[in-house]
Amino acid sequence: MFKQIEEVLRTQSGQIWQAIGEHIAISLISLLIACLIAIPLAIALMNHHRIAEFFLQVAGVFQTIPSLAILGILIPFVGIGTVPAIIALVIYAIMPLFQNTYAGLTDIDPSLEEAATAFGLSRSRKLFRLELPLAMPMILSGLRIATVMIIGTATLAALIGAGGLGTYIILGIENNNNALLLIGAVLSAILAIVFSALIRLLERVHFTKRGVIVTLCVFLIACGAGAFKYFAPSRQTITIAGKMGSEPEILINMYKDLIQQESPKTKVVVKPNFGGTSFLFKALESKQIDVYPEFTGTVLQAIVKEKGKTPHNPEVTYKKAKTALAKDNQMTYLKPMAYQNGYDLAVSRSFAKKYHLKTISDLAKVGDKATAAFDPDFYHQADGYPGLKKAYGLHIGTVKTMESSIRYEAIADHRVKVVDGYTTDPEIQKDHLVVLKDNKHFFPPYQGAPLMTTTFADRHPEVKRALSKLAGKITTTDMQKMNYDVTFKHEKAATVARHYLKTHGLLN
Amino acid sequence: MIEYRDVGMHYSDDTQVLHHINFTIEDGELFVLVGPSGTGKTTALKMLNGLVVPTDGNIYFDGKRIKEYDIRKLRLQMGYVLQNISLFPNLTIEDNIGIQLEEMKRPTAERKQIAADLLNTVGLPAEKYAHRMPSELSGGEQQRVGIIRAIAARPKVVLMDEPFSALDPVSRHNLQDLVLQIHQKYNSTILFVTHDMNEALRLGDRIGVMAEGDMQQIATPQALLDHPANDIVRSFFSGISKTDKPVVELLKQAQTCTVIDESEAQSLPQVDALITTADLVTTLRQHPDGVVTHSGGRLFKITMDDLLDFLAAGGEALV
Repeated sequence: MFKQIEEVLRTQSGQIWQAIGEHIAISLISLLIACLIAIPLAIALMNHHRIAEFFLQVAGVFQTIPSLAILGILIPFVGIGTVPAIIALVIYAIMPLFQNTYAGLTDIDPSLEEAATAFGLSRSRKLFRLELPLAMPMILSGLRIATVMIIGTATLAALIGAGGLGTYIILGIENNNNALLLIGAVLSAILAIVFSALIRLLERVHFTKRGVIVTLCVFLIACGAGAFKYFAPSRQTITIAGKMGSEPEILINMYKDLIQQESPKTKVVVKPNFGGTSFLFKALESKQIDVYPEFTGTVLQAIVKEKGKTPHNPEVTYKKAKTALAKDNQMTYLKPMAYQNGYDLAVSRSFAKKYHLKTISDLAKVGDKATAAFDPDFYHQADGYPGLKKAYGLHIGTVKTMESSIRYEAIADHRVKVVDGYTTDPEIQKDHLVVLKDNKHFFPPYQGAPLMTTTFADRHPEVKRALSKLAGKITTTDMQKMNYDVTFKHEKAATVARHYLKTHGLLN
Repeated sequence: MIEYRDVGMHYSDDTQVLHHINFTIEDGELFVLVGPSGTGKTTALKMLNGLVVPTDGNIYFDGKRIKEYDIRKLRLQMGYVLQNISLFPNLTIEDNIGIQLEEMKRPTAERKQIAADLLNTVGLPAEKYAHRMPSELSGGEQQRVGIIRAIAARPKVVLMDEPFSALDPVSRHNLQDLVLQIHQKYNSTILFVTHDMNEALRLGDRIGVMAEGDMQQIATPQALLDHPANDIVRSFFSGISKTDKPVVELLKQAQTCTVIDESEAQSLPQVDALITTADLVTTLRQHPDGVVTHSGGRLFKITMDDLLDFLAAGGEALV
C-alpha cells in the first residue's frame, strides 16, 4: 500500500499539484463569495432580529440538504463543472459565517453600544471602530468553520467535473484503489488543517494588519480567478470527457490526437475522470462537453432504458443503441471499436492448463472442482452468475463473493481458480489469467464508441471523420495492454494513446 | 441653558416612570439629580442626549427643543460618563479619549495631544497609559479615563449617570474631587445623576431630589439640609439624623476634623459640641474658614469641606 502511494505520488505529482490547486481555488473562491454575502447580510440584519432569525432558519434548512442533492438540483440550471460546485459550497458556507457574524455583532455589551451612540458616532464609525472589531473573534471562528467545511465538501466537486482532490477519492472508490483514495482524503484533510491553522494565526494579528492581510488574500484570489477565467476553455474549443479510470482516459487522448490531426487549428480539451454515466450523459445534453466514449451495452441498459433483454449480438446491440439515441436524444453514435469490455470469466493459467479450459462450456464440465471469487453484483444479477448457470449449466463448487479488486488478489494468491471481471482489466495481463470464451454469447456486448449530439456532429464533420478511424480498431488484448501500461506501469495515458495510434498507422 | 418643561414619560401599558417635571440647569452649573433607584432620574438624563425620547413635554437646549436638533450633531456636543464605565475594550486609552474628536474629523496629532494632556492632568502619565488597553487599568483608573473621554471634545454639557456607584469609597472620593476640579477648570455644565445623597451634597451647586417619578425639591445643598421640603426629602438624611450622637462626635470618629491648639482656635467662632447637623451647616455657611468646638478636652476645627467629606464618604455607615 505504501509502495503504491509512493509510486502514485512519484509518477503523478504534476496532476496531484494541479488537483490541490483546483481544490484551493474552488474553496477560496467559494469562501470569498460566501463572506461577501453572509457578512454584509449579518451587518444589515443586526438590528432586525426577526428577519435575521428567519434567515437563520432558512440557512439552517439549506444546511440539512445533503451536498450531493444540492449538486444534483443545480445541474439542470447551471450545468456542471466549477460553477455549480462553487454555488453549492457557498450555500453551505453562508450559514456558519452568517450565524457567527450575527451572534458576534448582537452579543456586544449594550452599554458599549449606548456609549457609542451617546458620543454621536456615525453608523459606519460605530461599525468599523467598535462592532466589527468586537465581533471579529466570532467572525473568524465562523470563517474557520466554513473553511474546514468547504474544503471537506469540495471533494464532492469532482463528481460534477470541477476537479480537485475529490477526483482521487472518487477514482479510488471506483477502481478500488486505496492508494488514490488515501491520497485524496489525506491531502484534503491536510488542506483543511493548514487553512484552519492559518485563520487561527490571523486571529492573533492586530486588527488593522488583519485588514491588510485579508485584502491581500482577496486580491490574490481575484487574480487567480481572473487567470482561471482567462485560461479556461472558450466555447470555440472541443471538450472531450471520459468516465473514471484508465481506459476512458486513453480513449479520449486518442480522440484528441485524431481530431487535431484532422483539423490542426482546433483546440481540444480532455477531461478525464469526469464522472459516471448519467452525469456524463447530462453534461453532453447540456453541451458542457462535446464528446465522450460510451459502451453500447450501457446505452441500452442505462441511458435509453431499453425494455427486454439486451441482444447478445454486438452488431444488433450497436444498431439498436444508435437508433434509440438518434430518435430519443438527437445524438450521433459513431461506429464502435473492436474490443469488448463486458463481463468475463477468467481462470488461472495453471488451472486452465490442467483441465484444457478454453471456453465457459469447458469450465461447466469441471465446475465442481473449481473455487470462484465473484463480485457481489455479478453473483446476484441475472446477467451474471445466475444467468451463466442457466445458459451453460455451470455449477461451481465453492463461490465466495468479494470486492472487485480483492478477487484479483485472491486468484493471484491461488486461493481461488475462477474470477469474474471485465475483459479489458489490466490484471488479466499482470496475473497471467486466461479469459474463457463466451462461446454461447451469454454476456451482453459492451463496445466503446464516441457519442456526441447530432447538432455537434453536423457542425463538425471533421471530428466525425477523425473519430470514425477508430471504428473496428483496438482489440481486447490491445486494450488490456494499454490499461496495464497506465495502471501498473504508471505510464501517461496520453503517451500510451499516441503510441498505439502511431504503431497502427492512425497518426502520422 | 437647559430647561425641562413638563417632561413626562409613560409606557404603552400606562406605567408612568416620570411625571411632569420642570427644572432648569444654568450654563456652567453642576446640577445633581438624586433619589432612590427607579425614580426616573436616569431616564431624565438620557432625554437630554436623545437616548430616551419623552412622551410628554419638551426639553429646551439653548432655547431650541431637543427633538429639533440633528441628534448626532447634538450628541457630539455632549460628554457622557456611564455607570459601568464602558470604555471601548478594543481601543487604546488614547483612542478611547479621542473617539469624539475622531468623529469630528480632528487630526490624529491633535487628538493624541489632547489625550496626553488630559491623562497628565488626572494623574495618569500619558507615556505610561496612552497606549494601554482599558482592561489593563483598575476600575478607578478606568473611570478617570471615562471622565476625560467625556470632556475631551470640550462639550457644552457633560452627562454623568451614576458614574461612581460601582467604585470603592477611596476611588469614589478621589473621582468626586476630579469632577469638582474639572467643573472649576472648564466651567462646563454638568448634569450628574446619583442615588447617593452624600455624593449629591458634596458635588452639587444645586440638587434636584427625585422620588417616585416626581421632583420633590430643587435647592442648594445647604438649603436642602436646612429646609427639607417634605418628609421624603428629610428621609434622605435619616441615615445621618437617626442617631442620637451629635454630629461632632461622628466627625471625630471618622477623623474628618482636625485637632488644633488654642492659639489657632482664637480666630474662629466656637460652636457647642452638641450642635445639630442642620445648625452646623448654617453656621459653616456663614463662616467659610470653619468653626471650632470643644470636645473631650481637646479643640477641633471643622470646615464645610470636612462635613461634606464626611457625608460623601457615607456618614451613615458609622451610625
